[in-house]
Amino acid sequence: MTRDIATQQGDMRMARLTGWTMVLAAVAALSVTGPATAFERENGHAVLVFSGGQAVPVLDPHVRYDWSTRMMQQSVYDALAKYVDNPPRVIPWLAQSWDVSPDNTQWTFHLVANARFHDGTPLDAAAVKFSYQRALKLNKGVAWMLKDHLDADGIDVIDARTVRFRLKHPYPAFISFVPWWYIVNPKQVLAHQEGDDLGEKWLTGAEAGSGPFRVKRWDPNAVMELEAVADYWKGWPMPTDKRLAGVIYRIIREPAARKAALQRGEIDIATELTPDDYDQLKTVKGLVVPDYPGMTTFDVKMNNQHGPTADLNFRKALAYAFDYDAMIQIHNGAAAPLTSPFPTPLTYHIDVPGRPTHDVAKAKAFLAKTKWANGGVELEYIYVQGLEEERRVGLAMLNALQPLNIKVNLLAAPWTTMVARGAKPETTSDLCAVYVTPVSTDPDVVAMQYHPSAEGQFWGMHHYNDPKVTQLIERARIEPDEAKRREEYAEIQRDIMADQPEIFGVMPNRRWAMHDYVKGFVYSPVRLTGEVDFYPMWIDAK
Amino acid sequence: MMRFLLTRLGLTALMLAGLVAITFVISNVAPADPAALAAGPDATRDMVETVRKEYGLDRPLPVQFVRYVGDLAAGNLGRSVATGHTVGEDLARFFPATFELVTVSMTLAVLLGVPLGMLAAVRRNSWLDHVTRVVAVSGIALPAFWAGLLLQLLFAVQLGWLPTSGRLEVGTPPPPAITNMYLVDSLLAGQLGTFWEALGHAVLPAIVLAFPCLASIIRVNRAEMIEVLGSDYVLAARAHGVSRARVVGVLALRNAMLPTLALIGLRYGWMLGGTVLVETVFDWPGIGLYAVSSAIAADFKPIMGVTLVVGINFMLANLVVDAAYARLDPRLRTAAP
Repeated sequence: MTRDIATQQGDMRMARLTGWTMVLAAVAALSVTGPATAFERENGHAVLVFSGGQAVPVLDPHVRYDWSTRMMQQSVYDALAKYVDNPPRVIPWLAQSWDVSPDNTQWTFHLVANARFHDGTPLDAAAVKFSYQRALKLNKGVAWMLKDHLDADGIDVIDARTVRFRLKHPYPAFISFVPWWYIVNPKQVLAHQEGDDLGEKWLTGAEAGSGPFRVKRWDPNAVMELEAVADYWKGWPMPTDKRLAGVIYRIIREPAARKAALQRGEIDIATELTPDDYDQLKTVKGLVVPDYPGMTTFDVKMNNQHGPTADLNFRKALAYAFDYDAMIQIHNGAAAPLTSPFPTPLTYHIDVPGRPTHDVAKAKAFLAKTKWANGGVELEYIYVQGLEEERRVGLAMLNALQPLNIKVNLLAAPWTTMVARGAKPETTSDLCAVYVTPVSTDPDVVAMQYHPSAEGQFWGMHHYNDPKVTQLIERARIEPDEAKRREEYAEIQRDIMADQPEIFGVMPNRRWAMHDYVKGFVYSPVRLTGEVDFYPMWIDAK
Repeated sequence: MMRFLLTRLGLTALMLAGLVAITFVISNVAPADPAALAAGPDATRDMVETVRKEYGLDRPLPVQFVRYVGDLAAGNLGRSVATGHTVGEDLARFFPATFELVTVSMTLAVLLGVPLGMLAAVRRNSWLDHVTRVVAVSGIALPAFWAGLLLQLLFAVQLGWLPTSGRLEVGTPPPPAITNMYLVDSLLAGQLGTFWEALGHAVLPAIVLAFPCLASIIRVNRAEMIEVLGSDYVLAARAHGVSRARVVGVLALRNAMLPTLALIGLRYGWMLGGTVLVETVFDWPGIGLYAVSSAIAADFKPIMGVTLVVGINFMLANLVVDAAYARLDPRLRTAAP
């Protein structure tokens, strides 16, 4: 009855072997999902798969925008005009033309005749008025762009295809914001309204647009699928057989995983990879890395009201001590130096003469004029936790200020903490690393960053306040004469540079990594971070 | 038994109340403004105020706390400033994903861990024992984040055997939502293809998540088995001619399993709160990711919601384990709770 020990050991061995074989077999069976095909297909049309790390919690075009959100909004909605190309220009879209009154306060838009919402309703002037009023009433998202210049009752419907905006004062920048004010379908919005919320709850995850795509599947944290509207009112720029069936935005949070998915062919185009990733992917067969000059500025803001940096000579000393080449190298060469407080593609940008360069002797000369002629002071440099470039710029700062005997203490913080601390001069760090992307090409957007109203905003961490510059900015923003406006902005740039509120750094390039079969990619620097316009894109299926 | 359960439930409720209070204080001590972050970087001050009023963040903190507790009692977890949905809706969407992952993970850990621990105990100091012990130590020592990325690189990119991330392929629509757990829903809907795909996607994250748990189970089970196998009744059973397999697999295991069961129960609750890293690497949209993105947006209501869910689960797991212990071990039944 008692079995031989050897036989039992043999039994155990057999059991184990069987067990392992079963495990391996299971793994093999599960690899039914083998390597994905290069691109998805549907009815003979290709589906483009795009991947980034940022979710789209709110699709409502009048509530919120950031790069991922606006990429989706631009696909399902239209505006009176649209931004294309580099350098960016505003082209007619829902409006085929517009004119300005002689006193520069009234803008009249003439709409195209054939625009339709996805449910077939014609897009008319009443819809435009409704949308602009909705944005102003909700007072969120894009509202800040126009609310100081346009009242909700300053919009008139002249006829079904003509709408007029009566601004409170001349505002040349008006047209530069129009491409971001999308038109929603009043019929659908009001039908899904809850109480008097103007459809805000419903539009969070649904769309009421007229754009080239409509929402097919919406999981804002994982996968968002859009399908192309075959009979889009404006038509498609590519031959019908090449048109996409749709676009999928797939969220992959980890850059390493995103890169892996791109290499594996699971996604067609990726954004938000590290500079090292882009450099490596450039060399891979079948992948391309389009590289474009960007409009985002990266600066080290200095606290103009507190601490040693409140002294202009101290700030100038830092500006001359800094190694500007290091900033470019930290971005692996994929960045262009700032030649003005304004990024280069901005209208009325000038190369400000006499801007600081890396000159330690000059730096020491400026420092000698301050209370800290021999240094001996420690500055705090705060940057966003996890952003490697910002950390390395901090280290470059540390090196650069050593000859001046100034210490730098690097502090990594979550963005929320940085913004909260930066809201008041007393709590703001001495040096803050900040990226800012202007939302339009009009210089007013950037100039206003140096206006006292910037207090409390993240770009206002310098707490800069110069009455002369403030006056100039307020004058230039409503100046209707183009030549005068150009000169005013030139003076603003020179004055700000002379006041050195921050160390003006670089404009990092914008890069994407994509397979070479992705075509029709059009770059416009006014789009944010990884934002891409899907409308002209298609896949060259071989 | 009844009295025991009721006492424990009462204690659990007290613990939850403490949890809510502490989390509330911590979330609001951080110098961050959720309304400003939700309103967006370009928002003017009045726009931020609009958002703040909408979410009741303009009231003083004690008032906010009282309102929150009142809402909780009514089953209302508040609204997330970042997503705009109610926390209840968000949790209903995210929790099943985490629950599914943790269940698959735990199943893997138990199915592999218990036999391995058993075999290691039976074949003490053999090569199998040493390998198992290396596995056990690695499971506890290796960081999940790093291991996850490496496994992803190996199995997904190099070999192409498994997908990189997500719960399903991009082109596959999810099964009709009943429980929001794709494995369950696809079976209920009879979509076997979707089931296999969902399982394939769950394998890598489940393995990474299971690893530390597997390690603990192996070690505890091995130690318990060694102790039990040395006891007198085992020797007596062998002497009476009971087969080796039965002695080890049934008699000894049953007694050694008690601490292992306790461990499994506790790890289950623990795992539910510890999935963040795995969810981030594999883009598994669960409550871990939800909690982290809410923390980054300084949005405290979802953080409280997630804390409550994880806390309740942990305490329930504790409760179940204690009850199971009392049931399985007669010695505990007569002892005071």
